[in-house]
Amino acid sequence: MQTEATLAQADVSELDLVRRCQAGDTEAFDELVTRYRTRVFSMIYNMVHSEQDAWDLAQDSFLKAWKSIKRFRGRSSFYTWIYRIVMNVTIDWLRKKHVKGAGAEFDDATQLKEVDPASKTVPKAEALPYETMERDEIRARIDKAIAQLSPEQRAVILMKEIEGMQYHEIAEALGCSIGTVMSRLFYARKKLQNLLRDVYENI
Amino acid sequence: MKTFEEKWTAWVDEQLSGRELSEFEASLPDKAAAEAEKAGTLKLGELLKRELSARTLSNEEFFSDQLHENIARFHQATAGQAREARATWWTIPRLLSAGAASLAVFLVFTVVVMHEKNPAEESQYLTQILNARVDPLVSPNATVSIFEVKQDRVTVLWTEGLQSLPSDYAAK
Repeated sequence: MQTEATLAQADVSELDLVRRCQAGDTEAFDELVTRYRTRVFSMIYNMVHSEQDAWDLAQDSFLKAWKSIKRFRGRSSFYTWIYRIVMNVTIDWLRKKHVKGAGAEFDDATQLKEVDPASKTVPKAEALPYETMERDEIRARIDKAIAQLSPEQRAVILMKEIEGMQYHEIAEALGCSIGTVMSRLFYARKKLQNLLRDVYENI
Repeated sequence: MKTFEEKWTAWVDEQLSGRELSEFEASLPDKAAAEAEKAGTLKLGELLKRELSARTLSNEEFFSDQLHENIARFHQATAGQAREARATWWTIPRLLSAGAASLAVFLVFTVVVMHEKNPAEESQYLTQILNARVDPLVSPNATVSIFEVKQDRVTVLWTEGLQSLPSDYAAK
């Protein structure tokens, strides 16, 4: 685990790399890419579920980052800034592919008047014992469940659960309010619990 | 004012505290069921983290190499556009100077031509008209009138009753 001092050093070093990038140093940019390429690729892959598309979108994201690095003012971390670019690129791509997520009942715009606060989500899929389920099958189930979410809900739940980002960081990366982030997280979790309860309950 | 969704999410993520926490928990009709739901959400989070974090980029070096190529291509394209822009900007002053030169030549030509068209003195035809007389022997009833408007540079010789026009009166 990193101490505050090493975190501060990492931040200073990262800021230094960004300054060098802003002066046109491609080697400094290469260093930043090396730090984030796997996480960026993984995040995009989990949203689009295609290795080739994830590769292309990650390339596009880093190229956009290079093009606009001079506009980075350091008000947020580079990490949050690059995630904002990644999310814009990926969500735009999903929208162009007309990915909306299935079912309107968990859409952000829908009010939840009739939902009992303590209601249990009911699994729709047939329960399978974990022992008989291959890891690939579990991943396939997860991918299928995530594919049911809207692009924005996918982004929120992946940034929260996989990246461990705070609400305000997610809000910054997506350019929306913290309330919107929390609301999207609520609906995304509800939907995934509905679809994956048998998986996580049997592990 | 937080919505129910926001409060629930904050509660699941242990982000509620103090009065807000106690008020929210008091508003739950079945706290035990809510706690079970919260536990399920946490399990879901663990499942996602375990299964989805494992995905890695298979060929990292090739990824960086390809990105280098894309950046180089971008710089080439940008440099090309800059050259085109400079070329475009150079043609604009050239067009302006060519236009100004053409206008100057036109003005000089116009002034010279107009100047040449202004008669400095009366022409020989006008003198001939002004000196025209009628021979009373040839045309005893003939009359000659001359109208001249100098500002319009028009002179009219009006004759009536001529029997014949002597050949030496013909305009030359």
